[in-house]
Amino acid sequence: MATFAAAAPPAVTRNAAQALTAWAAAAAVFVWAHGTNPQLSMFWAFGLAFGFVLQRGRFCFASAFRDLFLLGHGRNMKGVLLGLAVASVGFGLTMSRQVPMTSLGFDPPTANILPLGAHTAVGGILFGVGMVLAGGCVSGSLYRMAEGYVASWATMAGLMGGLLAANFTWNWWWSASMADAPRIWLPRYLGHPGALALTLLAMGATYVVVLWWEHRSGMVLPATREPAPPSAGVADDLRALGRTVFVRGWPILIAGAALGGLNVLLFSAQEPWGFTGEVGRWGVMLSTALGFAPPPMEGAAELPGCVMVPTDGALANHMTFQVGGMFLGSFAGAVGAGEFKLRIPKQPVRYLQSLGGGVLMGYGAGIAMGCTIGAFFSSIPSLALNGWAFAIFLGLGAWIGTKIISRNA
Amino acid sequence: MNESKAAKTLDVRGEICPYPMMLTVSALKKLTPEDRVLEVVTDHAPALDTIPTQAARLGFTTDVQESGGSEWRLVLTRIAGAGGS
Repeated sequence: MATFAAAAPPAVTRNAAQALTAWAAAAAVFVWAHGTNPQLSMFWAFGLAFGFVLQRGRFCFASAFRDLFLLGHGRNMKGVLLGLAVASVGFGLTMSRQVPMTSLGFDPPTANILPLGAHTAVGGILFGVGMVLAGGCVSGSLYRMAEGYVASWATMAGLMGGLLAANFTWNWWWSASMADAPRIWLPRYLGHPGALALTLLAMGATYVVVLWWEHRSGMVLPATREPAPPSAGVADDLRALGRTVFVRGWPILIAGAALGGLNVLLFSAQEPWGFTGEVGRWGVMLSTALGFAPPPMEGAAELPGCVMVPTDGALANHMTFQVGGMFLGSFAGAVGAGEFKLRIPKQPVRYLQSLGGGVLMGYGAGIAMGCTIGAFFSSIPSLALNGWAFAIFLGLGAWIGTKIISRNA
Repeated sequence: MNESKAAKTLDVRGEICPYPMMLTVSALKKLTPEDRVLEVVTDHAPALDTIPTQAARLGFTTDVQESGGSEWRLVLTRIAGAGGS
């Protein structure tokens, strides 16, 4: 491992210059968007932060589930669990102010409390298989696109296609499963403290199961952290801090906690973190432009979260700014660390695998009303039962996906 | 370590998770008992966590060398006395 010299080598200077250029562009877009509509600039800033943290933490929901089965370790799952715990406390506090009286039968309007039914299960399985085949979920594929992974662009195209297919079949799912499916918000049955306590307890139990699982499979984790070099003063400390934040990968627990905290801030400001609704909207716009618009989706207008909003003809909205911000934030993180590189798979079959994984994820997210973010990372903190159900079937799908890739390695 | 024998190299650049790790594991399993070292070249940062873990299970230590431009060379060395199973 290269040690950090007092005089920065040329590569570090070049990386820093590229990152500064990216951040300057991000700031310029922020200023312009703020003059147009402050909501756009806020979502842009949140997008930048989410993208930067995802990239720096190499945060990967797909590997959190997959590595349990493939490697028998839960390193990433522990980061996810911490993020969920942080977000649950924050969401719980926010929702207790939004709906103080849970007995009246009102749900917090923007929380991801979604219909729980067969579509949740099928969507979770399809998404789980797809994310393992593609080597990343929706957010993972986005920051990999920004890091220069060419196959991840195929995943994004597949996602759009899968979401569009879900759009066309939505009304079937609506009458078969969604319309009569309950939307179960735990605080209505347990009160705010009870629902939060049960949720945190379930996370603690999951953590214990992960530990047990690791030991059962003979987990070996070699030490990878290098000792910190001696510091000669404030300048050295700042340089070391800069390297920790911008160059070295973040510990997964820090990244998980940061993502959970950002999700709380965004939820208090407007709505939980989400993603797939916007990608779905691009698909609808594209198909409408090509002359085959999907039919109006029954019931979709009343649902929160990532349910695809029928396009109002506008090219961009606040979600466009959030997704764009995530892309640029990831890119800035990647170039600053010297991790940007065009990566071209040598085996052409990988493109097919990425595309197919994307299609499965897109269709799954379409009918489950969200991806690993909207239907999971924002649903469990909403203290909604659909988040846990989606997680279980996501795990099942990841297990099936792991079987498939282990056979065709 | 037998320095006279050139180390085998596995190039997994361009591969995305979990393939760098899986291809490394299958290459390690194919090594003959005389092969003490395998060098893996990767440009996938998450593999810097997954490969050392799996290599340790098969009795190899990992030395990670940054070769710049978002590429890394992992030198996997068989721990003396460890079997190759």
